[in-house]
Amino acid sequence: MRPRKMGTWALFGALVLAGSLGLAACGGDDSGDSDTNGGDNGAAAAKGGIYRVGTTDFGFNGGFDPSGEYLGWAWDLYSNLLTRQLTGYRHTEGAAGVELVPDVAESIPEPTDNGTTWTFTLKKGVMFGPPVNREVTSKDYVTAFERIGTESVVAQYGFYYSDIVGMKEFKEGTSKTISGITTPDDHTIVFKTTKPIGDFGYRLAMPATGPMPAEVTDCFTKAGEYGRYVISSGPYMIKGSDKLDATSCKTMKPISGFNPTKQLSMVRNPNYDAATDSTEQREALPDGFEFIINTNQKDIFDKIEAGEYEDSVDAVPPDVARRYSTDDALKDRLKSFTDDSTNYIYMNLGEAPFDDVNVRKAVNFVMDKDALRRAWGGPLYGEIGTHIAPPTLYPGSTEFDGYDPYASENNAGDLAKAQEAMKASAYDTDKDGSCDAGSCSGVLFLNRSIDPFVKMSPVIRESLAKIGIKVQVRELPTGPAYETSGNVSNRIQIGANARWGKDYPDASTFMVLFDGRNILATGNSNYALTGMTAAQAKEFKVPYPKGGVPTVDADIDTCAAAIGDERAACWVALDKKLMEEVVPWVPYMFGKNTDLLGPAVTKWDFDQFSGEAAYAHVAVDPSKQK
Amino acid sequence: MTGHIRPFPPDDPRGGPHAHPCTHEPGRTALTTAPVTGGEEPIGIEPATVPGVQARTPWQLFLMRFRRDRLAMASLVFIGLLVVLAFAAPLIAGISGHDPNQLFRQMTDDFGLPKGPNGSFWFGADASGRDVLVRIAYGTRVSLIVGVVATSVAVVIGVTLGLIAGYRGGILDTLISRTADIVLSLPLLLFAIGIVTACGSSREGCFGGAVKPGLMLVIIVIALFSWPYVAKIVRGAVLSLREREFVEASRSVGAGDLTIMFREILPNLISVIIVYASLLVPQNILFEAYLSFLGLGVPDSTPSWGRMISDASGIFDVAWWLMLFPGIFLLLTVLAFNLLGDGLRDALDPKADR
Amino acid sequence: MGRYIVRRLLWTVLVVVLVTLLTFVIFFVLPKGDPATRFAGKSPTPELIQEVKESLGLDKSVPEQYGLFLKRLVTGDEYGWPGLGKSFQNKQPVRPELIQRAQVTITLIIGGALLWLAIGIPVGVISALRRGSVLDRVSMGTALFFVSAPVFWLGLLSLYVFWKQLGWLPGTGYVSFGASPGTWFSHMLLPWMVLALLFAAIYARVVRGNMIDVMTEDYIRTARAKGLSERRVVMKHELRTGITPVITLLAIDLGVLVGGTIVTETVFNLQGLGNWLLIAAQNNDLPVTLAVTVLVAAAVSILSLVADILYAVLDPRVRYQ
Repeated sequence: MRPRKMGTWALFGALVLAGSLGLAACGGDDSGDSDTNGGDNGAAAAKGGIYRVGTTDFGFNGGFDPSGEYLGWAWDLYSNLLTRQLTGYRHTEGAAGVELVPDVAESIPEPTDNGTTWTFTLKKGVMFGPPVNREVTSKDYVTAFERIGTESVVAQYGFYYSDIVGMKEFKEGTSKTISGITTPDDHTIVFKTTKPIGDFGYRLAMPATGPMPAEVTDCFTKAGEYGRYVISSGPYMIKGSDKLDATSCKTMKPISGFNPTKQLSMVRNPNYDAATDSTEQREALPDGFEFIINTNQKDIFDKIEAGEYEDSVDAVPPDVARRYSTDDALKDRLKSFTDDSTNYIYMNLGEAPFDDVNVRKAVNFVMDKDALRRAWGGPLYGEIGTHIAPPTLYPGSTEFDGYDPYASENNAGDLAKAQEAMKASAYDTDKDGSCDAGSCSGVLFLNRSIDPFVKMSPVIRESLAKIGIKVQVRELPTGPAYETSGNVSNRIQIGANARWGKDYPDASTFMVLFDGRNILATGNSNYALTGMTAAQAKEFKVPYPKGGVPTVDADIDTCAAAIGDERAACWVALDKKLMEEVVPWVPYMFGKNTDLLGPAVTKWDFDQFSGEAAYAHVAVDPSKQK
Repeated sequence: MTGHIRPFPPDDPRGGPHAHPCTHEPGRTALTTAPVTGGEEPIGIEPATVPGVQARTPWQLFLMRFRRDRLAMASLVFIGLLVVLAFAAPLIAGISGHDPNQLFRQMTDDFGLPKGPNGSFWFGADASGRDVLVRIAYGTRVSLIVGVVATSVAVVIGVTLGLIAGYRGGILDTLISRTADIVLSLPLLLFAIGIVTACGSSREGCFGGAVKPGLMLVIIVIALFSWPYVAKIVRGAVLSLREREFVEASRSVGAGDLTIMFREILPNLISVIIVYASLLVPQNILFEAYLSFLGLGVPDSTPSWGRMISDASGIFDVAWWLMLFPGIFLLLTVLAFNLLGDGLRDALDPKADR
Repeated sequence: MGRYIVRRLLWTVLVVVLVTLLTFVIFFVLPKGDPATRFAGKSPTPELIQEVKESLGLDKSVPEQYGLFLKRLVTGDEYGWPGLGKSFQNKQPVRPELIQRAQVTITLIIGGALLWLAIGIPVGVISALRRGSVLDRVSMGTALFFVSAPVFWLGLLSLYVFWKQLGWLPGTGYVSFGASPGTWFSHMLLPWMVLALLFAAIYARVVRGNMIDVMTEDYIRTARAKGLSERRVVMKHELRTGITPVITLLAIDLGVLVGGTIVTETVFNLQGLGNWLLIAAQNNDLPVTLAVTVLVAAAVSILSLVADILYAVLDPRVRYQ
C-alpha cells in the first residue's frame, strides 16, 4: 500500500490490506523536470496556504521518534520540515538530490587522521522551536548520539554509528560519555571513528543524528516515546509545540498537533531563520502542513482530484493512474519518479536446485519481468530491473546504460536461453532444458499475501514451470513473511516478498545484503545466503552444498574502504559480478514513487533522498483549494 | 450448560447463525432442550406411531414430503449441477482453451488492470489475465469439498462428543460442554489468522509437520470451530432420550454403554443430525469464502470464489465482473444448500411448517 | 439468582484467562520464529534484536510474559487500568486507541441492531400471522437470500452501486460524529444496512418460527377457548412470547459482534476493533491482539450471562413452571 522507500522495511511498516504499494521512481516520460507546476496554469509559486496530504496510515515503525524511526516518509518529514542535521540534501529529484550538502554544518570537511577524524563547524543562529527557544549547539548533536547509544531507545539503524570511538563503551555503560565525540565549543563537533568510513558524511544526514534538546529528550528513554514531543530545529514545528510545558518531565503532555491515529499538523517555527538555511534546500513556502489519515484510499484520490487534498503518501492506484495518464488535461498532475529501490526475487544459494548457478541463470532468463511489473501497475510504477543497486546510486556512471545480461524481447523472458542455461545444470539430467531432478518439484516459494505482491505469484509460478521448476506457494502477511524469510532454518528456497531501498545514496547500502558475515539465524536479510560458510550452515542446521556457496565478502571490504571515483567503480564491478557470476537474485524492477497532485499545487518537487515528495519545495494556491 | 447454541457469529465467517436448523428457536429452546423431532417418536424407530399416516415407512414419508417441496427439489437439482460443474471444470477449460492458471497478457492492460467479458472470455479476466469463468468452474470444487468435508469432520467430532457428554454426564459432560463454550467464545477469525500464519511460516508446516497450509488447513480450521454446535445439539437430544423406555430396556438386558450410545440412541438422532449438517454445509462454504477473502484460505493456484472476490476488492469500480460473477455463484450455492436444509428439516419433522 | 450470577461472572473471568492463554500459545509457541526481528528494522544486528526484545518484554520466558500480562491487566500499568501496554507496531499505548476503536465498532453494532430489529421483528410477526400467504413467502425468500449472501460481497456490491455508480452515498471510512454528524451518518449508512440485512433476515426467521410455535401451545389455545379476543391473544400472548427470545438473542449477538465485524469493517474501511485485530494478529502486534481478545471474550461471556438472566425473567413459559 504505501510506497515508501525504505525498501522491505518501509513497506513493512505499512502493513495490511490490499491497496496499492507505493513506490517511487523516476523515469520514463517526463523525468527531469523538477520544479514541476502542479496546476495547469503554472501560477507563480508563492508563500502561504496549508498543504494537505492524505494517507491511509502513517506507518511509523519507531513511533516517529527520530532516534529509532526507520520509515522513508518519516525521514522525509524530518529532513524537509522538522529537524536539521549537520549534513543534508537539496530535496530535489535526480542526481542533484542525492549529492551531500552541508545543512547546519558550515561545510563538509575532509576527514583527517587517515580518514578517521571529522571536524564540523556549526552555523550560528540556528534555533530550536518553542518551547525550548534557544540556539542549537554542538552538545545537542551529542545528545542525539547518546540517545542512539541508549539501549532502551532502540535506535533501529544505530549500527551505522557503532564504529565511532567509545560508542561501545557508552552502550555497555562503562563510560558516561562517548569518547569519540567531542565539542571543543558550542559550534564545533569532532567525531573519531575506529576505522576510515568513506560514507560517514551521509550517515550524519540521517535524522537520528539531528539536534535534540536534552532538557526534553532526557524525559523519554523508551522506544518511540519522544515521537510525541519532537522539538523543531527546522522551518516548521508540530502544531501546539508552543503549548508544551517543558518545565519538568511530569508537566509534558503529548504535543496536540500529532495524533498517531488521526493527524499530524505542522505550522511555521517562529524561531526559524531562513538566513541560516538555503532556499536550494528548503523554500518553506506553505504556512503549514496537514497530514491526515483517511483510511479510504479511493476517497483520498477523489479528494485530491477535487482540490480537497494536495497530495498523498500512498501510491496512486493503477486505475486512477490510468485515467490521469490518458487524459492530456490531467497528465501533468501525475508524477512518477524512481525512488532508488530494487524489487527482487531471491534464490537460496544453499538449497537445491538453486545451489547451481546455471539454474539461477535460467531463472533470470525465463522470468517474465514485464508481467511482474504489470502486477505493480506497469511502467509508471517501476523500471525493469537489470542489476542490483538502482542506477541513481552510481551517479555519473554510464556502465549500466543498456546493461542487461538477461535481456529478452519485451522483458517477457527468453525461454530458449533459459533452456540453454538449464542444460548446463546438473539438475537437468536428460539435457532437454527442463529441470527434472527430484528437487525441482515442491520448491518452497514465499510471497506476501497483500496486493500487489500476491499478483506476482501466478507469474512466477508460470515462468518457473517453463523450465521445469514446480513451486509450492506460501503467502503470508508482510510481517510474518519478513520474519519467515529472515529465519535461515526455514530453508525458503525462493521468495518474492523482498524489496530494498537505500538508506543513503551509496551502493554499500545494497551490498550489505550479500555479506556472508551478516547472516543471522533470525532477522537475517541476506536471504540468498550469499557467502554462507560450511560452519555457518552447521550452526543454522541447514545443508551446505557440495560445490560451496559463492562469496563476495572480500569485494565488499575492498569497496567499502575506497573513496571517490575508485569507490564508485568498485561497486559497479561488484554489481556486475553479482549479476553474472553469483546470480543470487532476479532483480525485476527498480521502483518508482507515484504522486497525484491537487489543482491548487503550484510547485512540487521530488526528494531523491527520501524517495517521497519534497515538502521543502512545494507551494499551494489557497484560492484553488476546497 | 449455559445452553446457547451460538450459531455462527454473523458478519463473520459463519454468516447467518440462526439460519441454522430448526429455524424456529435458533438458539435456545428447541435446539438445546429437545430433539428436533419435537416430542413425537423419533423417526426411524417406531414408524407406526406417527399419527395420521397409514403403514408408510418413515423413509417413504420423508420422500413424499420432500418431493412436494418444489424449492428444495430445485435446490437439489442446482446442487447436482454444481457437482457436475466441479467434475466438468477441466472440460470447460478444454472447450475455452484456457487453463485456470494460464496467464493471458492480452487480457490485462499496461496498468495491470484486467479486461472485461468478451467473446472468448465470457466472464472477463482477473488482474493476472486469467479466465474468470474457468476459475469459477474450478472454484466450485473448493467450495463443495470444504463445505462437505469440513462439515463431515465437524459432525463426526460433534456427534461423538455430544453423545458422550449427554449420555455419561458428570465430569466428562462438564469438560466437553465447557470446552464447547470456550471455543464458541473465541474470536474465531483471530485464531484462524494465528493458526494459518503459524502453519505457513515454516517449511514443515505446523503441529510437528502434520499440517501444511492449503485446503487441508482450511478444513481443519473450519471443523475446529464448527463441532461445538453439533455437540451441543446432540447432547441436548441425548439428555432427553437416555431416560426413555427403549434405552432402559436395552440397559436391562445388559447392553454396554457403547452399544446403547451408538446402537440405540444414535439412530434416533439421525434426522436431527442430517438436518443440522445440511444447514452447516452452507455456513461452512461461507466460512471458507470469508477466510479466502481475508487472505487466509487456499493458495491462489487453487481457484476459490472468496479469493476471487477479495482480488476484486481493490478494483471493484473498474472491474465489476471480477466481483459480480464469483459472488453470484457463491450466493446461489449457499442459497441452494440453505433451501435444501430447510426442505430436509420440514420433510423430516412432521411438526415443522412451511 | 445472586449466587448464579456470581458463579457465571467467575466463569467469565476463567474464559478470559483461558482465551488469552490460548492466544499466547497460538501466537507465541506455535510459530517458529522470533517476533522481535519484525520490529528491529530492515537490517538488524543481533544486539539490536536483543534491545528490541528487552524493550518489548520478549526477552522473558513465555510463561513469565503471560504472568506479567495478567498482572498488568489486573493491577493496571502506567497508562491506566486495565493495563494493556503499548503496541509493538506504533509504540503507542493500547488503551486509548482501544477505547477510540471500540466506539466505532459499537456505533456500527448499535446502529445495525436498531435497524435489523426494526425490519426483522415486524416482518417475522406479519409472516407468522399470514402464514403461507404470498407475503410470507416473499418475506421468507428474501430473508433466505440475505442469510445466504456473503457480507463482503454485499458490501462491495452496495459500494459499487450507491457510491461509484449512483453517487448517492460517500465511500468508505469512518468520520467521527463530533467532526460532522451528517458525514458520520452518511458514512455509516451502508455498513449499517449491510450488517442489518443479514441479521434482519435471521431475526425475521426466528420471530416467525417462535410465533408459530407459540400459536400452537396449549395455553394459547386455552386463552382462545376462554373467549379472549383474537386481538388480545395475539398482542398479549403470542407477540410477547414470540418476541421475548429475540431479546436474549440480541444480547448474545451484540456480544459476539464486538469482535465479529472484521469483514464489515474491512470492506468499509471502518477503523474499529475488528479491523485492528486483523492487522495486529497478522503482524504479531501481541499487546493489541491480546487487548482486543480480552475485550471480545469478556463481551461475549457477559452478554451471554445477560441473555440467560433476561431469558429467565422474561419468558413466561419459564415462569409458569
